[in-house]
Amino acid sequence: MATDLRISNISKIYPGCVANDNVSLQFKSGKIYALLGENGAGKSTLVKILSGVISPDNGEVFLNEKNLKLSSPLDAKKNKIGMVFQHFNLFETLSVFENLSIDATEDNKSLRVRINEILKKYNFNIELDVPVLNLSAGQKQKVEIIRCLLRSPKVLIMDEPTSVLTEQETEELFISLKKFCDEGILIIYITHKLKEVLSLCDEVAVMRKGKVVSVSQTQNERVETLANKMVGQKLAKIKKKINISKNKDEIFKVKHLNFYSDDPFETNLVNLNFSVKKGECLGIAGISGNGQNELFQILSGEIITPDTSIIFRNKEIAKLNPKQRREYLMAFSPEDRISQAAVPELKIYENVALNNFKSSNFFEKGLVNERKIKEHSKKILSDFSVNTDNVELKSQFLSGGNLQKLILGRELITAPELLICYNPTWGLDVGAINYIHETLIKINGQEKSTILISTDTEELLKLSDRIAVIYKGKLSKIMPSEEVTPEKLGVLMGGGSID
Amino acid sequence: MSLDISFIGILIGSIMASSVPLILAASGELITERSGVLNLGVEGMMIIGAISGFALMVITDNLFIAIVGSMLSGVIISLIFGFLTQSLLTNHVATGLALTIFGIGLSAMLGKNFVGIPGKEFPILFSSLRESIPFFGPILFGHSIVLYFAFALPFLTNYFLKKTKLGLVVRAVGDSPVSASNQGINVILVRYCCILYGGAMCGLAGAYLSLIYTPQWIENMTAGRGWIALALVVFATWSPIKVLIGALIFGGITILQLHMQAIGFRIPVQFLSALPYLMTIIVLVVISRDSRKIKLNTPTSLGRIFYKEK
Repeated sequence: MATDLRISNISKIYPGCVANDNVSLQFKSGKIYALLGENGAGKSTLVKILSGVISPDNGEVFLNEKNLKLSSPLDAKKNKIGMVFQHFNLFETLSVFENLSIDATEDNKSLRVRINEILKKYNFNIELDVPVLNLSAGQKQKVEIIRCLLRSPKVLIMDEPTSVLTEQETEELFISLKKFCDEGILIIYITHKLKEVLSLCDEVAVMRKGKVVSVSQTQNERVETLANKMVGQKLAKIKKKINISKNKDEIFKVKHLNFYSDDPFETNLVNLNFSVKKGECLGIAGISGNGQNELFQILSGEIITPDTSIIFRNKEIAKLNPKQRREYLMAFSPEDRISQAAVPELKIYENVALNNFKSSNFFEKGLVNERKIKEHSKKILSDFSVNTDNVELKSQFLSGGNLQKLILGRELITAPELLICYNPTWGLDVGAINYIHETLIKINGQEKSTILISTDTEELLKLSDRIAVIYKGKLSKIMPSEEVTPEKLGVLMGGGSID
Repeated sequence: MSLDISFIGILIGSIMASSVPLILAASGELITERSGVLNLGVEGMMIIGAISGFALMVITDNLFIAIVGSMLSGVIISLIFGFLTQSLLTNHVATGLALTIFGIGLSAMLGKNFVGIPGKEFPILFSSLRESIPFFGPILFGHSIVLYFAFALPFLTNYFLKKTKLGLVVRAVGDSPVSASNQGINVILVRYCCILYGGAMCGLAGAYLSLIYTPQWIENMTAGRGWIALALVVFATWSPIKVLIGALIFGGITILQLHMQAIGFRIPVQFLSALPYLMTIIVLVVISRDSRKIKLNTPTSLGRIFYKEK
């Protein structure tokens, strides 16, 4: 039976922000719909409304002309609307089967039979009796999808599904989604990745600042036209000129980096060796959870590993803590902006002071020199085009993009010789990503080096001079980036080998 | 030698009796914590259970009403905690501490008129078998029904958590309340139920003290057992069977060191008194070393406030 989903005049207002402004859309089964927009455009709010997690201030949802009352996730489930969230809604400490059985109405035996049927039909390879925390992100997503399929949904909503997947896994996902679509499931695909919209979806609705600004057939669109609709302004294209740095000095060299942990949430690192030249960007690719966290913490000095040798500017720094490493002109931008890089409850200028205990005159005789810190912070805000000049603002009120600019500004204003960043543009919108990429390219041009640990292959290919892939704590050989293709990276990130 | 063997039997029987309040309170708190709620009010709920059980026994002269009443009073006082932490979103730790202080104060006030009143004999089961079988008699028979229930409880709790649907829901809520809520589970309701159940078990633990173990009302008679129960849950890494082991070790060494003091061992009394705490922690730490298992058993959201998006 054909499915017809209609959203009519949905509005949702949060204090100080209109998340959805009179949104009306129509979807019909047999097609894959894209909902495209930058972060904060209101996509997530809309799908949360559709899945019953939050209720709208105004407006209605119709499924096959029946007015749905979606006041809880249960209502969405009952009406056969399935949802795969960007941040998985799984119970990490429970087994896959327990996760799937928690809201099942049938007994365990027949449930297991049905799950196995789905696994077979769609070629999913997942063990049912291991705890979810042992699974890769791609497998976790499959568990979420199975959970939806078990309820034979009419509508399947995927929220930014590829942000954690490899190229291969993404392809597999697309194949599955097309299969679901052929079987009559209406698919709504939320993303900010333009290429995915073009390769997968039939129709695309673009959202900006809570409003739907365009609905069109994807065959009439190109990357540039969609990007401009999404951002609302013309974007300059950036591409890095590859550094020819063969004869340059090695500024940073890591030897015999090993890390072993009992913690099932951590990844062991096995004999990592690499070096970075002056003015070079070394990219480290990989799906999250393959040791990047641990690597970043070891490089920044949060974890000290025995027997590792780290030479930086001809000095052995392996035993130094993060503060001492900063004094040798290293700088760090961790993945988690809000809890690792900045303290959300502190004001902007206080956060700026945090990593500059010694190198500046912020502190005199143990007292804080607020005036100087504020001046310094103002300079960062304007130099790095952060969208505020109020240094008294609490950092938690900055958007992701502005916070990342502030953090990069704070790190770079000390003119470090090496910047190590981990997913610097994670979850940011196109405008902010462009700015950060330009900044990273610029510092390479000033003969400063960078190590870019990232899960975004496009970003890595754009910025890196050389690229290595980390998989299950092991590093692949390091390749010049002109020899690397997204496909090659995908193979390596999935644990395969090339040549 | 037969005298020695029967003495050991009696000793083990008394160790079992002394660990009952710990098993009851810790099993209740374990369920509460597995749902992600940290209730530090165990001591307060126990002492309220103790006084209300004793008072009801004196007033109604009916032990059944006294036992049920003590559990109900535990439920009522834990309802205060539930309302504050789940509906008004107060901090779990602060609220729990307040509950303990409140419980101790309230029980002292309520109990003023009950000090010095003698308790009533609680019926024991299979008393004839206790006398007739050497060694095993005093261990297995001649106990109150509450003791048998207490020793079954960790196994029932284990079964509940691992095998039943409801147990799965409780673990899911403790693992990730946000995910559970998005799956349509009523997180607040589940947590309320777990809090109330914990309250009932703590109330029963208190009543065991004032009605069965030492049948009388003494101010502050729980004497820190609530805190021991709390510590047991954590050191047993949220595993019901390990709670049982921990409670027995604690009860056992408490009794043994009393005997050692009586015999006059030349070890400082203070050290002997500290021994139960020390040994329980050491044993539980040693049997719970597997960091992987700890991760899987620990309620990830423990003590964190959950509120529903609107």
